[in-house]
Amino acid sequence: MGDYEFHWLIVYQALPQMLNGAFVTLHVAVFSMLLGIAFGVLLALGKMSKYRMPNIIATAWVEIARNTPALFQIYMAYFGLGAFGIHLSPYMAVLCALTFVNSGYLTETFRGGFQAIPRTQYVASWSLGMKKVQSYRYIILPQMFRRVYYPMTNQFIWSILMSSLGILVGMGELSGETQRLQSLSFRTLEFFIVAAIMYYVITKLVLFSADIMSRRLFKGEI
Amino acid sequence: MNFLRSVLVFATIFAFIGISNTATADKLDDVIKAGVLNCGVVLDFPPMGYFDKDNQPAGLDADYCRDLAKQLGVKVKIFNLTWGDRIPSLISGKTDVVIGSTSDTLERAKSVGFTYPYFVFKFQVISKKGSGIKVFDDLKKFKVGAPLGTTYETEYLAYAKKMGWGRSNYTAFKSENDGYLALYQGKIDALISTNANIATKLATKEFKDFEAGPFVPDYDDIVGIIAKRNELAWIQYLNLFLIHQIRDGRFAELYQKHFNAPVPPEMIQSLRDNK
Amino acid sequence: MGSLFTPLSWNDTGFILQGVLNTVYISVLAIVVGSVLGLIMGFIRSISNNYTNFVLGSVLDILRIVPLIIQLILFSTFVGVIGHPLLPFASGSIILSLYTMAFMTEVFRAGFDNVSGSMRIAARSLGMNYRQSIRYVVLPIGMRSVFPSWMGVALSVIKDSALVSVIGYMELLRTSEQLITRTQQPLEILLGVGLFYFLISYPLSEFGRYVERKMAI
Repeated sequence: MGDYEFHWLIVYQALPQMLNGAFVTLHVAVFSMLLGIAFGVLLALGKMSKYRMPNIIATAWVEIARNTPALFQIYMAYFGLGAFGIHLSPYMAVLCALTFVNSGYLTETFRGGFQAIPRTQYVASWSLGMKKVQSYRYIILPQMFRRVYYPMTNQFIWSILMSSLGILVGMGELSGETQRLQSLSFRTLEFFIVAAIMYYVITKLVLFSADIMSRRLFKGEI
Repeated sequence: MNFLRSVLVFATIFAFIGISNTATADKLDDVIKAGVLNCGVVLDFPPMGYFDKDNQPAGLDADYCRDLAKQLGVKVKIFNLTWGDRIPSLISGKTDVVIGSTSDTLERAKSVGFTYPYFVFKFQVISKKGSGIKVFDDLKKFKVGAPLGTTYETEYLAYAKKMGWGRSNYTAFKSENDGYLALYQGKIDALISTNANIATKLATKEFKDFEAGPFVPDYDDIVGIIAKRNELAWIQYLNLFLIHQIRDGRFAELYQKHFNAPVPPEMIQSLRDNK
Repeated sequence: MGSLFTPLSWNDTGFILQGVLNTVYISVLAIVVGSVLGLIMGFIRSISNNYTNFVLGSVLDILRIVPLIIQLILFSTFVGVIGHPLLPFASGSIILSLYTMAFMTEVFRAGFDNVSGSMRIAARSLGMNYRQSIRYVVLPIGMRSVFPSWMGVALSVIKDSALVSVIGYMELLRTSEQLITRTQQPLEILLGVGLFYFLISYPLSEFGRYVERKMAI
């Protein structure tokens, strides 16, 4: 290892702060995902609608979200909006950027999900006397979410990983907190190795619980 | 047998040369042999380091890099670092030395080697004129920012903790410039920075509506050049270089150039005291 | 001292162009190297037993699960610690290529798995040897079906290459950041940067969709 000596004690002492950062990471990932799902459903409906306006908005949103780097979007939310006098905190900037991207990607996923549901399902639900909202609420959406469960899990993992870009706007999530801690003691390798392990564990835990949840939710289906 | 013995002798000699080579060739030799000094500077910290209009490195730190290379008789390659990059760049060998206003805390000295101090800063507040920030304790009521992982962030947060302010009014920035941009845009009301940087910023027309506020209480920021901790001969050379910069009047010359003012005698005294 | 803030000028064109070229350069390199390695690894994964697959999968998992930004910081620090410092470009392209490889492996593996066993047997019964069956049947058929997902990964690599800026590579985003610092005009510069990424990425993704539609028929 050349002449590098590892100092682990200092990382151990800073673990509570890092865990706190990890909590913020999960926090922002979960919220950006929930908001992303909400916007994603709306945009998917917009994209499939026969009206022009929703269609244009949805298409522009999706294409910009998918074709520019997340890092750019975070900068834009932070300093770009700042030029208009809209001042988001680092947390809000990252949340907005991740929500923007999540909904962009989820729109396409959801659209695929909606289109995979046979037309007869809609007709059948109407013939049972359901209103349009009811048929979406009880028949279409549950089926759609079942179909897009795995792509959604992937998107959630992506959110966790991309929240690490918070480091670039001074946000106190896992990466940002790690960066702060390492600059106090200059123990770069130790701190970032532990951060990498934390990301790995978090992601694996999320995948694991997603798997268990899918088994409970969709017993034997699909 | 003879043949075997001579092989053995040669092998021993070569091994010895090899060992002695690695034992004596230190950073100082490496730099001279390579003919290039890889010098790290934080170029988002005027007037110590910034980019001029041709996108070239400029500032007191950058000039120190050039002076050092000149004394060594080698070419200079200046790397632009963020605050957080400084140590990784040294440890990774990307840079031989970092002249980047690094505060010489004992915690950091466990990881890197510090030279004698080469500059002294005070930590100060910059805010919009008429914002009503008179004394440091006023900050409690304002949105405050500082660059992530700097000593002034640490000092501010320690003070805030002591006073029980909490962190809700505080924002960290990845770099000094991001902090100033945020202040300029009105994202924050007050930024903690160094007196040198603040004075430079106030001289520009972009920051004409801003003013320098109170100092962070009881703190002098004394900064040194950093290098790998185990490169003692190299650090010794750098120390002598710093002594010469002051003795030969080069420090005063560069101070005048970058600060438009003669160097305060207290600063020279403080640099001598802190050796 | 000279003036601290200077507005954007035509002199900056070359500087910006260099940033653009650096982004294109490192992305193309990572996509090419990552695809070749991914093709090899994908092939190995599709023919390996469960045990080998588990080990390989775990290693590739690390590359996909640890945020790219942390991989970059760790790797560039690590190579220095062991005494072989690399330029930001070198560390950046190595990590970006490996990262690309991890995703491409799954893309190609799916492609290989798409070619059904009976098709392979059919190829062998036509008198082809194992190599020929791979060369003339499995590769062409398997690869055709993966093009859309390959394009998806390639596009995300172009965008993720922006992260190499954190270890000091002067690609487009870092170039623009430097200009923002000097000009204090974040909006104009950021919009320009966004537009650039969009202009590269959008036509490619449209092309990917076009191919996907054609192949679906």
